[in-house]
Amino acid sequence: MEALWPVIHSNYPRIGDSPEEQKLRRAIADWEQKRIGDDELRQVEDEVARQVIAEQERAGLAIVSDGMVRWYCPFSHLARKLANVQIDGLLRYFDTNFYFRQPVVSGPVQWKEPILLREFTVAQAAATRPVKVVLTGPYTMARYSIVQTPLYLGRIERLTEDYAVAWAREVRQLVQAGLSWLQVEEPALLHHPQDAPIVATALEILAENKGPARLALALYWGDIEPLWSHIQRWPVDMLVLDFTYSPRLLDVIAASGSAKPLGLGLIDGRNTKLEDPAEVLRRLDRLAPRLEGTHHLTTSCGLELLPRDRARAKIERVARIAESFAGGRR
Amino acid sequence: MSRGKLKALGLDLPLLPTTAVGSYPKPPELLEARIQFQRGAISRDRLEELERRATEFWIRTQEELGMDVLVDGEMYRGDMVAYFAERLPGFEIGGLVRSYGNRYYHKPIIVGPVEWPGPMTVRWWQFAQSLTDRPVKGMLTGPYTMMDWSFNEYYPDRKSAVLALARAIHREVEALIEAGARIIQIDEPATSVRPDELPIMVEAMEVVLDGLRDRAYFVTHMCYGNFEAVYPDMLKSPVDNFDLEMSNSGLDMLEHFRRHPYTKDISVGVVDVHTHVVEDVDTVERRIRAALEVLRPEQVWVDPDCGLKTRQVDEAIGKLRVIVEATRRVRRDLQASGPSA
Repeated sequence: MEALWPVIHSNYPRIGDSPEEQKLRRAIADWEQKRIGDDELRQVEDEVARQVIAEQERAGLAIVSDGMVRWYCPFSHLARKLANVQIDGLLRYFDTNFYFRQPVVSGPVQWKEPILLREFTVAQAAATRPVKVVLTGPYTMARYSIVQTPLYLGRIERLTEDYAVAWAREVRQLVQAGLSWLQVEEPALLHHPQDAPIVATALEILAENKGPARLALALYWGDIEPLWSHIQRWPVDMLVLDFTYSPRLLDVIAASGSAKPLGLGLIDGRNTKLEDPAEVLRRLDRLAPRLEGTHHLTTSCGLELLPRDRARAKIERVARIAESFAGGRR
Repeated sequence: MSRGKLKALGLDLPLLPTTAVGSYPKPPELLEARIQFQRGAISRDRLEELERRATEFWIRTQEELGMDVLVDGEMYRGDMVAYFAERLPGFEIGGLVRSYGNRYYHKPIIVGPVEWPGPMTVRWWQFAQSLTDRPVKGMLTGPYTMMDWSFNEYYPDRKSAVLALARAIHREVEALIEAGARIIQIDEPATSVRPDELPIMVEAMEVVLDGLRDRAYFVTHMCYGNFEAVYPDMLKSPVDNFDLEMSNSGLDMLEHFRRHPYTKDISVGVVDVHTHVVEDVDTVERRIRAALEVLRPEQVWVDPDCGLKTRQVDEAIGKLRVIVEATRRVRRDLQASGPSA
């Protein structure tokens, strides 16, 4: 391994426990009660996004995100701007205590307007480091959509492909605006590994449209090891891996290496307990001899499911461990 | 199935008993008082006075609406896990974490061995029951959900944490029974989160009810999960009644009940608690009748999908009113047609 960059995984807590850190919560409540308008809410969202970026930069991360602080959930924030997709009731998000709103597909899924472009440009203007943009993967979108049209009934591969085509339109816009890191998240794949070929096809569509941006595939909250040989061949520039749910993955990579750069999710993004840096460094030392080039150190998943103070402590630990690793290698 | 047990416990309930899941909205003056208390601006006694007043309001409201089995409305609780974590040694309260949309909760952290500190809910149950002749449910959060909705920095694995919590909650159930509670609800909304861990939930519930099964009627509430992943195995849990959110998910569990008969009692969620819209009586009546196509009337209780604390007071009352009215319509028809086969 030539270099190890500390990077954000994806989302980040939008509020904390101090009154200052709760302004977005208050603004959303005011907006829901029509005490403030869209512009005022947007202003607070932008301000919080800038603060989240600054927090990540202060921690020492080399790639940051806007924390996805505007997202209601991983599905509705994207789906609400697609044609023929409505938003339905709440459902638990995998094995978390977080709930998302299910997309309801009533006709052909089509891109109709920019979704993340404005958010990205705000983030990019605020950041001094590259900004990562995250998209919920086409397969995960499809897997959790309620299908109300014969077009997709029993045809998840078709729905996945149409989500991928819609995302490709979005990606082209983002790349034109300067996007350099795109992360596509497919946690649903780990619960339905038999659908790996469907995900591979969707990634090909995105890869063809990503231009110079680097495309990362993030897998979390399930065992990656059974899919390891498949995903090594997929058309992505990086694999971002959750090691907390994959007990054998470290051994597999330590033995066989990786054909692709990795985002090493060795810091638990779901539990408050802070990792012992020495233990993480030992794990990195096992991986390093079999990995070439530059890799990323990150958390196992986004940090939104942690309290803000613990999320901050986690990214500080990511940065500290990456620095120690680099120092040790010098 | 358990009507004999209810009778043996001295509970003579009508067909299709109406109830609620647990929480009701706190009146504005109580919400304000909780903020003032957190700031140290009012005393514990003053806050409790308002909590008692609000509890009394909800007991009277439920009586006036004609509900059969009442709840205290949890006026003294913030969050269903944090309330217990604040009282159980071994926990500390962590920072705010988002549950959905703009809703957040203080997610507890297990930092040491969990122990029962003495009664945590008994005094409030006694107060609520003293206000009414109708049965009031004892309300607890189950060990699996307590574990799953907490961070764990102490126990080596999830099962160890769940079983330690089960032993503590067993003591609380025992205390409620000794105080006179005959219907006790132990909520496990996290049950379907990891279907492979269902045996842990069942084992923990056996610990909770150990030696107590004949002394009370036990309900478990579950909501917003992948029920089909744990059905029918969830029926192995030793409780008498599963209280299920069903309206928000379009009553889709009924299809599973058609394929594999449901064998326990069930509290069917017939109004969606996540919408400001109060359903009309016809809609709720249709939902009850749909449930009765696959369940026997003797099995069925009727209630909202989940706690109503996120609704406005008038919305919550409106939803309870339509539940009672729709249930009465169906009950009248059932009584007119005689006992079911």
